Amino acid sequence: MILQLKINQKVGVGLLLGLLLVASSIVQLSPYHIADQDLSGRLLAPSAEHWLGTDHFGRDMLTRIASAIQLSFVLSFFCVLTSATLGVSLGVITAWKGGRMALGMDVIVNILLALPGLVLVLLFAAIVPGSLLVLYLAITLTQWVEYFRVSRAITNTIINSPARQLSQMMGFGPWYQFRRHIWPELTHSILTLASFGGANAILTMASLGFVYVGIQPPLAELGLMSVELFPYYAQAPWILVQPLIAIATLVFGFHLLAGNKHDGAH
Amino acid sequence: MTALIKVHDLTIHYQGKCLVNKVSFSVQQGRPLTILGQTGSGKTLVAKAIMGLLPSVLEASGTVEVFGKPVMAQSRSPLWGKSITMLPQEPWHSLDPLMVNYQQVSEVYESVKGEDGEAAFNHAIDDLTHLGLKGSALKRPTELSGGMAQRLAIASATAGGANLLIADEPTKGLDSSRRDDIIQLLQRSAQGGSLLTITHDIDVAQQLGGDILVIKDGEMIEAGSAESVLTNPQAEYTKALIYAAPQYWQIEKLRKTERKAILSVTDLTIGRGKDALASGLNLTCHTGEIIGVVGDSGCGKSTFGDTLLGLLPPLKGEIKPLLANTKSHQWLKLFQDPPSSLSAHVTLQTLLNDLVKLHKLDTQKIAPLMEKLNLPESILQRSAKDVSGGELQRFSILRALLLEPVFLFADEPTSRLDPFIAKEITELLIALAREQGCALLIVSHDPALIDKCCDTVIRLDQQKHKSVA
Repeated sequence: MILQLKINQKVGVGLLLGLLLVASSIVQLSPYHIADQDLSGRLLAPSAEHWLGTDHFGRDMLTRIASAIQLSFVLSFFCVLTSATLGVSLGVITAWKGGRMALGMDVIVNILLALPGLVLVLLFAAIVPGSLLVLYLAITLTQWVEYFRVSRAITNTIINSPARQLSQMMGFGPWYQFRRHIWPELTHSILTLASFGGANAILTMASLGFVYVGIQPPLAELGLMSVELFPYYAQAPWILVQPLIAIATLVFGFHLLAGNKHDGAH
Repeated sequence: MTALIKVHDLTIHYQGKCLVNKVSFSVQQGRPLTILGQTGSGKTLVAKAIMGLLPSVLEASGTVEVFGKPVMAQSRSPLWGKSITMLPQEPWHSLDPLMVNYQQVSEVYESVKGEDGEAAFNHAIDDLTHLGLKGSALKRPTELSGGMAQRLAIASATAGGANLLIADEPTKGLDSSRRDDIIQLLQRSAQGGSLLTITHDIDVAQQLGGDILVIKDGEMIEAGSAESVLTNPQAEYTKALIYAAPQYWQIEKLRKTERKAILSVTDLTIGRGKDALASGLNLTCHTGEIIGVVGDSGCGKSTFGDTLLGLLPPLKGEIKPLLANTKSHQWLKLFQDPPSSLSAHVTLQTLLNDLVKLHKLDTQKIAPLMEKLNLPESILQRSAKDVSGGELQRFSILRALLLEPVFLFADEPTSRLDPFIAKEITELLIALAREQGCALLIVSHDPALIDKCCDTVIRLDQQKHKSVA
């Protein structure tokens, strides 16, 4: 599977895996905790003791950035996994069974599409601020619709293909038909959607942190860190830049992974 | 008479392999030329070379003169549409699926001839009325039948005023009356100019008349007037090509004593949705019997087969299986387009293994059956997209026969294959169905094929069941 990827996708995989590996080992090995304050050592420049300097409470930036990256990864992974599973299964089932279920799904999907995604997430986040679970549910709720629409449209054409009809006639069950005929046609689109979805989940989380309704302090979160460090941009520009670079690198990695529109599955 | 196209020593190479070797011919004004040959013989490449559409990875040498002037690939584009035009294979691919039908024509009037919107619209509607497509002017190409789409493609291709036409397999997959319509339309459109047709269909060559050029593996085999080539072919290959047509087939008829009834159909009305397509159908199928269904497109041939298989509900009447203990996977269908009826994501071996595992089949039976079907072992390591249509259709037959079917519905199994392969596959299918005692329902738009092969014939256009057993 990895072997079939284009060079830019491999770079994307490498970048993301490397970042995750480095981030989690830093969290494990760092002598500091993300909440360890040291008010005598505020806004320090990078040094041998604090490799990336310290923030306005004297907390170690390296540990905080690593922890924030880890959090972003975990959340985006679960959001993508849940929304893709939900969207694809509902999409395939709706296309296959049709009838009333299709009508009902149309109504739900149209309602969700009519609401701007970020507003929906903001609404959820504002009800229970700082809850990781609610954040995850809200992001998943806005993201599964894309998977649903794509997999439903693709499945619709495959349901009527001679190949699937023949498999059915020969006695193969629904799971075989899905695995042999529907899933291979879906993978490419779903993987592309998942890559962009991963990037979007990270951005959404950062946006919420930025408007103070996402993760609450003292937890480290990239968006929250950007807004916390913003007042010190003149005194210590290097610490403000760090979460921004981290977000950009993550999003860049996911976008590389998505590939470009020319490298189709064929 | 002036030569409109003159091709001299055209040779096309790809990575050192010769695809077309020293082909020379000329197309005279008012005298159509037909290039005849099998799939993969290089016919289409010749047409593309004349249009200047050869992919750049191919190396071409030789000269091509159009309207008496030698032209290079680049300098041919000003001629496109205005004086020379090409009808590519498969009209679906050359029409815009998102554009309504009249626009496909009016756009040509606007862009190529520079007419204003209203004049272009009027001209387009005139053309469509002329072709009997007026009722479909506001529909989209996917809503048209094959013959209608081809007529629309011709209207669109010739709207620019070109009367030198190059048609690549214009009648592929069309039934005989639609085919005749298209040929007449092509002849009309080429008036004052000329027509270069590429086909594997002898009947098309015969109807067009003019000259014939036979090509095999990129080599010129025979050339001459249509009459002399078709009635008195010199080359062995030409003879074989002519005798591959269904009217020359020799297929043994079933001996009546051997048969056992498996299915009875009484007073059946078939249709899709609420509209009845045919009614009053009566039939009894027997083991080893070959039943032919013939009729024009849209008359319900495929619907009939699907209804017998239980894929569609009958609108009226009764279908009664007479054999006890048959399983549903023994009632099978063979599709028209082999590549679309097999998953291309795994090797053929995997598809075969899936089937063996599901029904716990005896793997010993595979090898002898493959030998009978002329399928090399190595083909199983490839996936459906790397295998030719003929081989895939034989592989489909292999899969079907492994399940020991009692009833097999073959929906135009050979209409997209060239005559040699069509003959081979039909003969194999019939022989093996007889051997296994499987009733075979063949649907075809070619009356000659049905008459030659079948024990019982159902003509749907007359809406009456006529037995000729």
